[in-house]
Amino acid sequence: MSGTSRASTLRRTIRQTLTIARRDFIATVFTPIFLLFLFAPAIMGSFGAIGGLGAASVADGVGDRARIVAVVPNDQARPVAEADTRLRGVFRHEEAPPALTTLAVSADPAKQARAAFAAKDYDASAVLYGPLEHPTILYGARGERAADYLVALAQATLVDRRLGADRPRVEARRLPFSRARPSTGGGHQSAFFAVFGIFFLTLFLAGQVVGTMAEERNNKVIEVLAAAVPLESVFLGKLLGMFGVAIVFVAFWATVVGQIGALMPPSIAAGLGDLAPAVGKPAFAALFIAYFTMAYLLLGSVFLGVGAQASTMREIQMLSLPITILQVAMFALSSAAASRPGSWVATVAEVFPLSSPFAMAGHAANQRGLAAHAAALLWQLLWVAIFISVGARMFRRGVLQSGSAKPWWRRRRRASQPA
Amino acid sequence: MRGWGLANDLAVSATGLVKKFGTRNVVDGVDIAVPRGAVYGVLGPNGAGKTTTLRMLLGIIEPDGGTRTLLGCTHPRDASDRVGYLPEERGLYPAMKAREAIAFMGALRGLDWATGRKRAGALLEATGLEHAADSKIRKLSKGMAQLVQLLGSVVHQPDLLVLDEPFSGLDPVNQERLEALIYAERDRGATVLFSTHVMAHAERLCDRLAIIAGGKRRFEGTVADARGLLPQRVHYLPKDGDAAVASTLPVDAVREDGGWRFELPAEGIEGLLGRLIAAGHGIAGLSIERPGLHEAFVHIVGRDALEAVA
Repeated sequence: MSGTSRASTLRRTIRQTLTIARRDFIATVFTPIFLLFLFAPAIMGSFGAIGGLGAASVADGVGDRARIVAVVPNDQARPVAEADTRLRGVFRHEEAPPALTTLAVSADPAKQARAAFAAKDYDASAVLYGPLEHPTILYGARGERAADYLVALAQATLVDRRLGADRPRVEARRLPFSRARPSTGGGHQSAFFAVFGIFFLTLFLAGQVVGTMAEERNNKVIEVLAAAVPLESVFLGKLLGMFGVAIVFVAFWATVVGQIGALMPPSIAAGLGDLAPAVGKPAFAALFIAYFTMAYLLLGSVFLGVGAQASTMREIQMLSLPITILQVAMFALSSAAASRPGSWVATVAEVFPLSSPFAMAGHAANQRGLAAHAAALLWQLLWVAIFISVGARMFRRGVLQSGSAKPWWRRRRRASQPA
Repeated sequence: MRGWGLANDLAVSATGLVKKFGTRNVVDGVDIAVPRGAVYGVLGPNGAGKTTTLRMLLGIIEPDGGTRTLLGCTHPRDASDRVGYLPEERGLYPAMKAREAIAFMGALRGLDWATGRKRAGALLEATGLEHAADSKIRKLSKGMAQLVQLLGSVVHQPDLLVLDEPFSGLDPVNQERLEALIYAERDRGATVLFSTHVMAHAERLCDRLAIIAGGKRRFEGTVADARGLLPQRVHYLPKDGDAAVASTLPVDAVREDGGWRFELPAEGIEGLLGRLIAAGHGIAGLSIERPGLHEAFVHIVGRDALEAVA
């Protein structure tokens, strides 16, 4: 085959692929059902929010009633409260121990302490009684940290009482500092974010391609397509069409989340701010997109090939379980790789085609250098081509009842012969 | 009919095509040579291997043996933009509008969408379906949808149009429309290759035809060649009605419709007529009939083979 002829064939293949991709994209996006699909996360989020609000109100109620109790003489109540105020300042709100309640000591403080656990107007987590130098602390289920806090509180109160105004005051200079290189923790956090993010998106989106060939078989268009277009182009076109749908979905929700970012819970916003990928944030963002694309194409091409063998909706539905299991398995393998960069698990995950995009996204978070990513992307692209080719051959043999197509080298030899 | 015969003037040629499904040879060494510009029919009973042959010629499936050339290309895919195809199992996207469906099929064959839509409108108008241009396929009748698909197979003005059982499922009006379209395509210069098991269409349309049965090609030639395989039949009605006329007639003469039917004698009818008149039987009626394609087809394929697939 001459160079011009090869270029012409390539142009035709691209054109045919895009024609099929365009048809599938339009047929999917410009339908009312797509709106349901697009807003599914909002619907899911609404239910989650409603459930979350309910759970939060229950939790808040429980939290509001939780107390640590100090059974102390009246003259110690104020110093204990002051020490508590000072110590509590170092905790974040959600991490702070339960509020302090002081009770004036009675004749039997031990009995009084036990009675505190039966109080009707609060729920005691831990109760301190006895002299501050050697107090006794009772604590209930999950009250160990509250007990520890009461120990620290007793100690701080004693220090205040003994030293009074002589208590040393520390005048510290607090300066912000940026690390020259990302911390290990920041890298791991970024790695997990990348692996989970790609897993989450592909879990939602890649499974859609399973039924696309069955659609063609049911409406019998496959014969028209197979006559006009190589099956490999049909498969790739369908994959790209559905990837376009996925991009619309991701772009829509990225925009929405971007707009409401200010409303994000501070802990999540702070968590995102803590991300410190080894390759730097701009390169990490680009690689995240690239690996999401490759993860979609790799898993999608496998799903497409397997789904093409199914002819009924029931068969397609039966495939959803193994598909989900496969995705979760890839996620588990890649998560393990992300937490152990450089290990043999990481190497396996980075090389195995279906986990490679996830693991390499984690690799970008944990390790510097971009050359490995160029090689990985080429490797993954090669496997997309292999999966599509195998899927098309299986379809040709199993569904069109054709023998294997002539391999390209035999076709070339025949094409070179005069007509 | 035009003069054909040059090997390099063939739109489609195939030699020794073989296709096995399991251990069964569904196509067993079929040769086909379709001259450029001809309307060529592939005839055969159900299950003869017509569709499989067409699919191999188009490259939808690969043959297990033999060679094929499509519009000068040894690999059919290389000619796909110059081919139009209407499969036996009709299929369109139900949610697509008729105009878009036609343009889409053109786009698959290299026609740009804008031109495809424009031509689709013109084709729909020419076939009296302009009212359906913006209707979704699912709202069209089966016959209309079939015509839409047919228009989709010609919208890119192919050099070769392959139609697999194109008349099946069409009412007489739409069959006429289809015949007109086939003639129009031939007049435009396209080669038309179609399969059918309805002899009337083949007899009217085909310049040449191949008859396939049991996966093998049994005949190749013109309709006249096929009909010429059987002798002409004579129907004679004597004036006097005398049973003794039988002694003057050929030995194969049998009574039929009040007269006698027999094969046309090898020396011609003139001598026999002379003897009948001389014997005083006279001639109340005489017709010399050429056998139809149907009879030729049954003769070629064999009644047993037809009954086997019925």
